[in-house]
Amino acid sequence: MKNKYVIGGFIIVLFLGIMGYLFTQSNIKYENNFIVVKSTNKTVKATGSWVKEKKYSYDAENNLFTFYIKDDKGEEMMVVYRGAMPNNFESATSVVVTGSYQQNYFYAKDILTKCPSKYQEQPNTQSSSL
Amino acid sequence: MISKSYNLCIKDIKSELRTRYAINALVMFILVAISVILFSIGNEKIQPELTAGLYWVVIFFSAMSGLSRAFVSEEEKGTTLTLHLIATPDTIFSGKLFFNLILTFFINIIITLLYAAFFEGFVVNNFILFLVTFIFGNIGLAISSTIIASIIAKAGSKGTLYPVLSFPILLPLILTCVQLTIFCFDGTSFDNALYEMAIVVSYDIIMVTISYLLFDFIWKE
Repeated sequence: MKNKYVIGGFIIVLFLGIMGYLFTQSNIKYENNFIVVKSTNKTVKATGSWVKEKKYSYDAENNLFTFYIKDDKGEEMMVVYRGAMPNNFESATSVVVTGSYQQNYFYAKDILTKCPSKYQEQPNTQSSSL
Repeated sequence: MISKSYNLCIKDIKSELRTRYAINALVMFILVAISVILFSIGNEKIQPELTAGLYWVVIFFSAMSGLSRAFVSEEEKGTTLTLHLIATPDTIFSGKLFFNLILTFFINIIITLLYAAFFEGFVVNNFILFLVTFIFGNIGLAISSTIIASIIAKAGSKGTLYPVLSFPILLPLILTCVQLTIFCFDGTSFDNALYEMAIVVSYDIIMVTISYLLFDFIWKE
């Protein structure tokens, strides 16, 4: 009789653990390989850097912002975002776009830009001004 | 034990076929709900995400109205004490669970057929995934609603208590099943849906274990 509760409790705790782990796992994943991004139409967070040679464009009439990003292996894709261009987009070192890849475009729901820190030490300018 | 719970299940089916209380209520509910949805969307083609959500909403509420009867009917007819005498709690729970499983599958096959017939967005591209989702989702639904039905059988306001109790318990199951159904419409491969599938399976296992452990106490009260 006592054994039943011990075994039952063990099973419950074990599977609750598995379920809790899977719940955190099944959220949107980061992906820095665009070949994988292009092969699924699941929502992912694609990380890459903006291709500066290919200009971004902003269509004010339809409120569409498009640009190209590439991953560290050089694989490129075109990102379409419905909304205004994020601030300091041009100075971004890397870009994280959340969305899904459909029919040759990556439709972004959200864009995060990673910028170089403003508060970094700049020893040369400081020493010269003094 | 198995033959006894089988007999209990047969008894429930017979009494259900005689009164047709649950089946009538359910079929009416399904027809009303689906026709209201159909009228309100009109000619619009709705997205697969929305279709999957609406599908599980109908399943959830039909489970609410039909499956709560399992123990309430015994209580109303005054046959609870007889059941106490003739069988152990585990047997009774198994019998009721079999009956609810049959009822859930019966209702949900009807819902699925109606959706497939009337909704343009309801196009299953990965049939095996849909079948597995359907089976495990229904098993989870049946187990949870059976144990909740046994809890509320003794309570005063049964009608309101049932959805209130079952909402938090069924929420993880319904959410994951909606996600899985969207995958089925998209045609996502089985491997990509493995996480969600595992969540549903572990939900079923947890609910079975909890139900068999706790039913002793619920039944003896």
